[in-house]
Amino acid sequence: MTEKPKVGVYVCHCGINIAATVDVEAVTEYAKGLPNVVIARNYAYMCSDPGQLLIKEDIKEKGLNRVVVASCSPRMHEPTFRKALQEAGLNPYFLEMANIREQCSWVHEDREAATEKAKQLVAAAVSKARLLEPLTSREVDAEPSALVIGAGIAGIQAALDIADAGFKVYLVEKSPSVGGRMAQLDKTFPTLDCSACILTPKMVDAANHPNIELFTYSEVEEVSGYIGNFEVKVRKKARYVDVSKCTGCGACAKECRLAGRIPNEFDEGLGKRGAIYLPFPQAVPAKYTIDPEKCLFLTRGKCGKGPKCVEACPAGAIDFEQEDEIVSFRVGAILVATGFDVFDPTKKPEYGYADYPNVITGLEMERLVSASGPTGGNIVIHNGEEEIVPKDIAFIQCVGSRDKSVGNEYCSRVCCMYTAKQAHLVKDKIPDARVRVYYMDVRAFGKGFEEFYDRVRREGIRYVRGNPSEIFRRGNKLVIKVEDTLTATPLEDEVDLVVLAVGLEPRRDARKIIELLRLSQSPDRFFLEAHPKLRPVDTATDGVYLAGCCQGPKDIPDTVAQAKGAAASALIPLARGKVAIDAQVAEVNEATCRGCGFCVSICPYSAIELVTVNRMGHMVEVARVNEALCKGCGSCSAGCLSDSIQPRSFRDRQILPQIAALGGTR
Amino acid sequence: MDLNKLRETAAGIVSREDVKYLIGWRRGTFGYRVSPYFIEDAAGVEELIFSPLCISNLATYLTLVERLPVPRGQQPDERKVALLVKGCDSRAVNQLLVEKGINRDRVIVVGLPCPGMVDWKLLAEKYPETEAPVEMRWQGDDFLLVHNGQEIVVPRAEALAEKCRLCRHPNPVISDATVGEPVQPWEPAEDSGVGEIEAKSAPERWAYWEEQFSKCLRCYSCRNVCPLCYCEDCILDRLNPTWVNRAFNFSENTAFHLARAFHLAGRCIECGECERVCPAGIPLGRLNRKLAKTVREEYGFEPGLDAEGEPFQASYRPEDPEEFIL
Repeated sequence: MTEKPKVGVYVCHCGINIAATVDVEAVTEYAKGLPNVVIARNYAYMCSDPGQLLIKEDIKEKGLNRVVVASCSPRMHEPTFRKALQEAGLNPYFLEMANIREQCSWVHEDREAATEKAKQLVAAAVSKARLLEPLTSREVDAEPSALVIGAGIAGIQAALDIADAGFKVYLVEKSPSVGGRMAQLDKTFPTLDCSACILTPKMVDAANHPNIELFTYSEVEEVSGYIGNFEVKVRKKARYVDVSKCTGCGACAKECRLAGRIPNEFDEGLGKRGAIYLPFPQAVPAKYTIDPEKCLFLTRGKCGKGPKCVEACPAGAIDFEQEDEIVSFRVGAILVATGFDVFDPTKKPEYGYADYPNVITGLEMERLVSASGPTGGNIVIHNGEEEIVPKDIAFIQCVGSRDKSVGNEYCSRVCCMYTAKQAHLVKDKIPDARVRVYYMDVRAFGKGFEEFYDRVRREGIRYVRGNPSEIFRRGNKLVIKVEDTLTATPLEDEVDLVVLAVGLEPRRDARKIIELLRLSQSPDRFFLEAHPKLRPVDTATDGVYLAGCCQGPKDIPDTVAQAKGAAASALIPLARGKVAIDAQVAEVNEATCRGCGFCVSICPYSAIELVTVNRMGHMVEVARVNEALCKGCGSCSAGCLSDSIQPRSFRDRQILPQIAALGGTR
Repeated sequence: MDLNKLRETAAGIVSREDVKYLIGWRRGTFGYRVSPYFIEDAAGVEELIFSPLCISNLATYLTLVERLPVPRGQQPDERKVALLVKGCDSRAVNQLLVEKGINRDRVIVVGLPCPGMVDWKLLAEKYPETEAPVEMRWQGDDFLLVHNGQEIVVPRAEALAEKCRLCRHPNPVISDATVGEPVQPWEPAEDSGVGEIEAKSAPERWAYWEEQFSKCLRCYSCRNVCPLCYCEDCILDRLNPTWVNRAFNFSENTAFHLARAFHLAGRCIECGECERVCPAGIPLGRLNRKLAKTVREEYGFEPGLDAEGEPFQASYRPEDPEEFIL
């Protein structure tokens, strides 16, 4: 740009957000005296239509070629003002923002000092604005398909929405059946409709939808590329059963030598299965799977005189020769719906979960009350001596939630209500049972929650405010030691069954997904959304969206709502068919790059690779940026010893004068 | 050290078609001096030596070699370069491999287990430099000096170089061929020789380094000799932006030395070459060893031990400490 810079400075009052602490008139006057500043104005709301009009008219009338807006964070309104510049015929990257709100007026009280600081911030922005260069963003084509990782209710719902909109969906589930956690639940709060009854139609829809390709018992192995153009590799684990032949008759499972001897994951270990199994009766697909870690033939090479399942199968579907298969495909968007694990209550040894068979988790209780569960819905437990129908039952809330000592400060949001629901179900099945709930606070915030909580209390379930300190055994009873904190009375409660309302935690293997998709975690270790309020389903990686409990604990309606939201977001690039590539990305000076690859390792978005170039007849490696992947974060630049990689608009020669102006030296 | 064995090995290597030259040492022109020696044919190996005076790190020549433009239609010389390395030198080779500064296929590493090198400046006062080159050998734990035709036993403690006193890796950590038996590593000082400065107060440290850096002539010998300072276009030479002004005064000198030290944090393999070549006698090794010590103690990382490893600056573990980072 040889044209002399003509800078316009626009100071925003932001109502009184800025103007109450910063003397905007003084800042405007000061800006007029800065080098290359042609005009400086202030206005109540620069982002409003009349505010933007001021800028646009000045660009046209005064021939401005650089614009400085002193207002809020660029995260807030940079796109707004860039658009204004573009509409006035100026390159949108000739904008520089001075953040005099978040970084000045909101954090200071002394008006005089804040005004001085605002002046410096404006001077720094003007310094940099003079050195800005024109940039051009471009567009690339987007693949009209999506990958959904996890086929619980979130993944199923999102996949159905995207598929219904007419786009191809690859739905990948790591367990042998779709359904996820919701399939394990008995009734759902607060309406008490049967979880399986409302879920199974969706499971079947997902499996039969012409636009959905379902991969169960499969894991995403590799993801590369960028929004609109992801390359995905999925490992289809060997089931050792030919799914095209298996009819799901179950003859094999009856004959398996290990039948009824392996704890069933779906029943949280309460029920037993064989080495060849269907996780639950409504499983989709209704195809059997051989557990390679348990099957005698696969682990020892020998199963009696020969595997009985092979003899039993009328379709000849069992195939011990089967191997894992890698499937590759391209997608334009990726939706992560990997769900949650429940808190491991052995981390709270005072509750004796590891010691007493009649201390169980909330999820185990779901299986125990479920008609499809191991006891057919009868609440029967073993108290260490005999099988009994418990008459004295206690629920303990907030196990592994709101508890710094186990590293979970957050509320899991579902335990209050699932406890109320389970207490109700217990009362329903064992009408003479005495049921107590030990709680810290009851959080009945959702639609119909408070009403349900009231109803449960009217059914004779007693809520005792107190956090039990210890559970131990006395005779064939369990004793809960607790202080009723409302009456300050120490209590000992003798019960037959304790249900721990375990909280929700990120999946134990979440790191795999984090590394695969370069996701971040919030302090609670759930996946981090791009913005807590305004971009709750997006991630820092463009084209990757979050749905359900992988982003934070939530109940089924919230999960479904988020899944639908994430599906709508994922549909944007698919429906447009194109994605815009930001121009403010890193650029390599190939003449000075020494090809050490530090930037390649540092880049959190895998946006840099080493390529071989011819430098004066020598083939040397240099870094190259994939502009579609780069977010312009500048980490590469910080790690580069020869200063050979820098983000456009944030080059040393642009930032150093900005810093110098802050110091008042230039 | 069996020199015949070394020369035999070297002759075998340089006779190969695919080898450009072997870089080793030979006697210098006077006194304690030893020269780097580029051997292109088998006849040259007769002058090859390995003695307690071979303190210089030859790994720097791997990257120092000028890459002249190749005329159109010609191919660049891509033959292998063979290199003699001590323990410390071998770590430089590894670090260069980690940073892709050299290609593993184009370097042959000849490892020489090192019982410790002599800092001749420690000897020069008692046994002044002579016009004729002196000879030195290892004798047991000590050194044997042939000075003016006399054989003198110099006790190890009297002449061992500082970097060797602090050495933790006397045996080469990478080599294609090894000559000599591995030596038993000795116990280095725990404070890496920086305890004396660490014990000072901040103003005392400032005063110390002000005195040291004020001596700097900005000859850039320390940068040029360093096997790991090999950017073809060093940021310190650039004018836009001018990170370090060309004036030599305490302020600019400090900027230079701190930039150099930080660029080497987690990369410096403590060969001590910067300090050895400094004409102003600035204890640059202490600066680098302080950073190396921090990296080792806080992150459990030592550069140059694993050619396949990740570079320190470009890798992290979730449990990395950060409480001392401002």
